[in-house]
Amino acid sequence: MSINYVSSGRQSFDDLCRVQASNTVTAPAMKKYFSALFVLLPIAAAFFALAPASAAQTDWIRTGTGLGVERVRIAVPDFKTPSTSNFSQVFDQTLFNDLKNAGIFDVVSKSLYPLAVPGSPAEIKLDAWNAEPVNASMVAFGSLSSGGDNSSGTLTVQGWLFDARNSQSPQVLGKQYSEPASEESARLIAHRFADEIISRLGGGIAGIAESKIYFVRAGGRNKEIWQMDYDGANQKQITRLGSISLSPRVSPDGSRLAFTTFARGGPDIAMYSLELGRMLSFPRFGGANLSAAWTRDGSKIAFSSSMRGDTEIYVVDSSGSNPRRLTTSRGPDVSPVWNPKTDAQIAWVSGRNGLPEIFLMDADGAGVQRLTEAGYAVSPSWSPNGQFLAFSWNRKYGPGAPGGQDIYVMDVATRRFIQLTHGSGTNDFPSWSPDGRHLVFQSTHGGVDHIWSMLADGTQLHQLTMSGRNSQPNWSFK
Amino acid sequence: MRNRRQSIFDERESWQGPVAVSTTLHAAFFVLILMYGAYLSHLPHESWGSATASSGDALSVSLVSQAAIPLPRPAVQTENIVANDSPGLTQSKPKEIPVPEPLAIPIPAREHTRKPEKIREKIAVAAASTIRDTYRAPPPRESNVVPFGRGGPVDIPYKVFSLGGSAAGIGTPSDSGFGSRYGWYVDVVRRKVSENWLKYEVDPAIQNARRVFITFDIQRNGQPENVQIEQTSGVPSLDVSAVRALQRIDTFGPLPPDYSGRQVSVEFWFEFKR
Repeated sequence: MSINYVSSGRQSFDDLCRVQASNTVTAPAMKKYFSALFVLLPIAAAFFALAPASAAQTDWIRTGTGLGVERVRIAVPDFKTPSTSNFSQVFDQTLFNDLKNAGIFDVVSKSLYPLAVPGSPAEIKLDAWNAEPVNASMVAFGSLSSGGDNSSGTLTVQGWLFDARNSQSPQVLGKQYSEPASEESARLIAHRFADEIISRLGGGIAGIAESKIYFVRAGGRNKEIWQMDYDGANQKQITRLGSISLSPRVSPDGSRLAFTTFARGGPDIAMYSLELGRMLSFPRFGGANLSAAWTRDGSKIAFSSSMRGDTEIYVVDSSGSNPRRLTTSRGPDVSPVWNPKTDAQIAWVSGRNGLPEIFLMDADGAGVQRLTEAGYAVSPSWSPNGQFLAFSWNRKYGPGAPGGQDIYVMDVATRRFIQLTHGSGTNDFPSWSPDGRHLVFQSTHGGVDHIWSMLADGTQLHQLTMSGRNSQPNWSFK
Repeated sequence: MRNRRQSIFDERESWQGPVAVSTTLHAAFFVLILMYGAYLSHLPHESWGSATASSGDALSVSLVSQAAIPLPRPAVQTENIVANDSPGLTQSKPKEIPVPEPLAIPIPAREHTRKPEKIREKIAVAAASTIRDTYRAPPPRESNVVPFGRGGPVDIPYKVFSLGGSAAGIGTPSDSGFGSRYGWYVDVVRRKVSENWLKYEVDPAIQNARRVFITFDIQRNGQPENVQIEQTSGVPSLDVSAVRALQRIDTFGPLPPDYSGRQVSVEFWFEFKR
């Protein structure tokens, strides 16, 4: 770690010069200004006294690139608890995994930790954590206690985050949580504390530990929408329509879920309230209506519809009123997705040139540009900061061509792309996490369709679903 | 006549004597030096840093990574004071225009000899030009010359260091600024800017360039503001990529809650090497 920072006031030096200049009085004028000097001196003294105060108004940081962009090395010892309970194991494991999955930490293996488990700031010896072999720059520690027995009572957690290299003022974070004692609240508290740490050390980007992933699970002849935590835990069924439901898209506030349903015959856009737990009314436009997409402000929905013959992109208000057509060319136009940063651009898949390709246009349908030049590209997903498009692409598509369907990420401004998945299986339906550091996607890597997640650079692959056939994941906005 | 001249030329001065004296003297001097050296080596003395030294251990200085302390900055060379953006050491002054003296007030007794309208005209013109010249003179500008050694903000990372075995150490002063109190926040800033800097935006022909220095303020809520190029690298595409890196960042995260200041100023350099 080699940062340097100097906090000094440039102003103070200039002030000093100015004060000295005002004190310089020539010899002949000395007598004349002698009395004036007595007036001047207290003013100068006051100036000196004020100068540090004014310099302290703006602290300076001086730093730069080329100092190494290493990840934060963080140690997460088990939280101190009076008696080892099931809760503490769940809590420790969840907190450890959350920080490990965050993508910005280098979590030190627990086998390297000192034997003494710190439970409070008084008990921690930072030297031991700072030195080899732990060599951590941050330590997250605390204590966990469950009042009463395991079924009733409250679960109280005190957590601290300490900067191990700063012996003067090490505390970065201190939190206390209290929830009814259960395994679920142990997980919840761990998620919240992890999110706090990630937000503090990750530059203000909120953690994703409390975000949800919606996906389609096939059971028998039906497909229903399911929900799970970002790490694959707590899988719950949402819709029970007894038919085929596809392409779930959760609203930015997390209250509604738009999806494609076959319950009423042809594919139609349906709306489900996650708060009320029931279907909401949404108009039927006729023809096939597919793949809804929310704007970031939640006011509009784009979808593809064949209500007037050819499949085109339409935009409606979130209530379903006021439909407007955006695309006009022949050939299918499907899978629209908004630029979440501005809501001013739409990327979508168009088959106007034969094979499906990713296109880009303004939100009013003007300024159409093609992003992919060759192959078979589908299912775009726009990163939360508006910078990247993730999509599924078979670059060498055709009879006998050696290509595979893989996840790619493209920088929208420069059209540069990188391939994230390699190897066997078909990978499709990428969806960005709210922090823009992760992607969830569907892969046949193990033979059957399952939901996987990875960091946005293609590392740290995790299989999230283990049973059934699961597809079309969609990560919530927060 | 001829013989005498020959005899003059045949006369040879003997040089063997002086050469012998000179050689002897040199040899004697050399022997003296050797003897003096031998004499000195037998005097009592200390051999520094050797393993068999009688007193004084070898000093081992080990760096430990603690919070940085603001030691006085080194006398860093200013990066080419002529070619940077400061206006320079001298300033041009506006040309001084002599103010014409106002005409004398006319004496009533001689009034008949001059035409009063013309005098009044001249006075008005003179007064007007005086006023004009007064207002035309630009206000004095503050000198913004960069003092030598304070222009190039190149700092060497100072760390607390301790002398092995000895009790003496250098402690951090109690009022040691933002960087040492919230080192983790400085880390966050550095990491976040580095993440958002896309090096492929730089002109592909550039192999390496001088540092570009960007200054900006971080507000309490973590937003960067007042992004400015403090010193250009001389490569326009590098300057633009550095500014864009800052523009991509919405927030660094709120400033530490217990920090009392309203904002923090940051000077950030971008070092490009291919």
